[in-house]
Amino acid sequence: MDGDRRNRLAALRTDIRRLERGTGPVRGRLSLGDPRLDSALPGGGLSLGQWHEIGGEGAEAETGAAPAAFAARLAAALLARPDQRGRSAVWILRRDDLFPPGLASLGLPAERLVGVCARDEAEALGVAEDALASPGVGVVLAEVGAVDLTAGRRLQLACEARGGTGLVILRRPFGGGKATAGGTAAATCWRVAPAASAPNLGGLGLVGLGLGPPRWRLRLARSRGGRSGAWLVEAAGTADEGEADVAHPLRLVAELGDRDLAAPAAFSAAG
Amino acid sequence: MLTAVSPQAAAAGLFPGQGLTDARALRPDLVLAEAEPEADARALEALADWCVRFSPAVAPDPPDGLFLDIGGVSHLWGGEAEMAADLAARLARDGLTGRIAVADTAGAAWALARSPAAEAGPQVLASRTLEPGGTEAQPLAPELAGLPTAALRLEPAAVERLARLGLRRIGQLAALPRGPLAKRFGAKVLLRLDQALGRDPEALAFRRPPTPWFSRLDLAEPVSAPEDLARLCRDVTLRLCARLEASGRGARRFRLDFHRVDGAPVGLELGLSRPARDPDRIARLFLPRLENLDPGFGIEAVSLQAAEAEVLAPGQSDLASLLEPVEGPEALAPLIDRLTARLGARRVWRSRPLASHVPERSVRRAAALEAQAGPARDGPAGGWPAWRPRPLRLLPRPEVLEAVIALTPDEPPRQFRWRGRVHRIRLAEGPERIGADWWRTGIEAVRTDQVRDYYRVEDQDGARLWVFRSGLHDHDRPVRWWLHGLFG
Repeated sequence: MDGDRRNRLAALRTDIRRLERGTGPVRGRLSLGDPRLDSALPGGGLSLGQWHEIGGEGAEAETGAAPAAFAARLAAALLARPDQRGRSAVWILRRDDLFPPGLASLGLPAERLVGVCARDEAEALGVAEDALASPGVGVVLAEVGAVDLTAGRRLQLACEARGGTGLVILRRPFGGGKATAGGTAAATCWRVAPAASAPNLGGLGLVGLGLGPPRWRLRLARSRGGRSGAWLVEAAGTADEGEADVAHPLRLVAELGDRDLAAPAAFSAAG
Repeated sequence: MLTAVSPQAAAAGLFPGQGLTDARALRPDLVLAEAEPEADARALEALADWCVRFSPAVAPDPPDGLFLDIGGVSHLWGGEAEMAADLAARLARDGLTGRIAVADTAGAAWALARSPAAEAGPQVLASRTLEPGGTEAQPLAPELAGLPTAALRLEPAAVERLARLGLRRIGQLAALPRGPLAKRFGAKVLLRLDQALGRDPEALAFRRPPTPWFSRLDLAEPVSAPEDLARLCRDVTLRLCARLEASGRGARRFRLDFHRVDGAPVGLELGLSRPARDPDRIARLFLPRLENLDPGFGIEAVSLQAAEAEVLAPGQSDLASLLEPVEGPEALAPLIDRLTARLGARRVWRSRPLASHVPERSVRRAAALEAQAGPARDGPAGGWPAWRPRPLRLLPRPEVLEAVIALTPDEPPRQFRWRGRVHRIRLAEGPERIGADWWRTGIEAVRTDQVRDYYRVEDQDGARLWVFRSGLHDHDRPVRWWLHGLFG
């Protein structure tokens, strides 16, 4: 009797743990390229078969360039995995301004990318759900204004159908209100802002100093079952340095504290 | 002048072409209405649309005729005579008087429909095997031989010339040797004769190409409830797919037409990335779009036609459902079809490199499942040279930069304002000079102000922008700067 009860308790605990994670099975982990980054994530990498929210800060919330570049690096690394061979990425847009040559230089080849332009927010989320649950799709990148709790749950269920990974890029519509971060259903929430890069001293710059690889101020705002953190990272091995190395998408430049995060805002206000 | 007369007027001795005064003298109580040729033409078009329920291949024959290619569809009614009777009954119900004839050639049908016999009811000329292009005289059907030469769609002048020589019947004309006939009356007469007899093919301008893949359902009572339409859609798809299956084919294009009681057809088009004949899948692609359909006062018939039918290995669909491919284009096809059906083909794409230096022209949008283009031409970046910096987002049109400060006109800017925000430039890289594709236009259209000098700049926050200066430096003209793209 006692043992039976203990067994039942153990089963309930596992259930609760699963519910707390709120997710189905994780289909592997994607390394971000640096152990110090990976260690902040539960399981030592970005969980596949779930969806992640990537937002911008400041002007990036509208242009969505740095978050998109970060997402493209992750997607490129994901598609390069041997178990994703032959699968495609689906990029869902609201505003049709994605430029494939730029993605190619970040390591995401155009021939493995299907572009979709949705007419409204609900349609974009619907397409994302449909694509995530389809065979032959490895990763879905969706640019939407916000994901509410219901939509987030639906995305998660779609991810579980076939193990597709979702990267939701929060992008405020033109002149629209503030993009709300309500994505409590996401496995992780990232905030990406551009950061001043190191000049490329020996580089290809024709006038003065060339530009080195792009740098981002990366903030892990929320991570289910993990801890948050902030880092200064650099896109490692982009086309700037010849062959695009997609296995290690990011290179850690520095770990940041809260004070470092606040600094650039003050700087731009002064400028 | 009278252009048309009612049966009662005809009985009173009036005829088209008669002068108005003559007619008034004959019948002072004549009721007149203005002739409206445009409205007549519109009505004929509408009737052609309506006739799609009988056959997808309908060709209007102004001013007052319609050709229907019923090859391959008449069996749906049980025969040509039954089909003609159904058409006549439906026309009569709508208050239209029509003359109907079925024959092997458009010319013969035209002649028969205008013969006095067609007044009584639809005429069906027994089918006979004709050798297209054969020159030996075919035995002429007696129904045709007795018709006047005007029934061959000849010009009035030609008919008159023939009549002067005593040639009044088609039979007389067909009995003449071909050579002298052509020499004497022109090739047109011979052509019309040959077309009527099936010696010469006639190309009709069908509204839609004829297809053997056609199926339809007639309803005893009109329906308009969405669930009824969905069931209709499934049923008609099932029918057509069974035929496709039996012949081992799949089709890439489908068109579903709902025929409303008021005659206006409402249609839905569907394009597939791979040929298919799985009725469930095809019906499911139509279903979400049925909601936007306006059934009017009700739908009385539904038809489905397939085009671009290709041979599809039998049983493939069954196998596919068991062993669903998890990768490659085959696996992606159902998703692409769903998205294309929902959003339209223009909103789903795969990008391909195009050999052009001009950034906005270096990308071509292809269908998402188009067969892979040849191997990448240069570099690992899929055809775009990897050493040229290209932005992640390209603005649909470049946006002008304000308050640009540069040390000298040919240096990258130090500061500018874009979208109300001041950007102070830390680092710049460039220029990359990109000229317009001058070989696309005439040499006189080439100007130096089409040259763009692109710089990749980084502002105080680290945001990377792609800006360009338009035109070569000119003292008379202020330098203009534009923002064209954003790097991540």
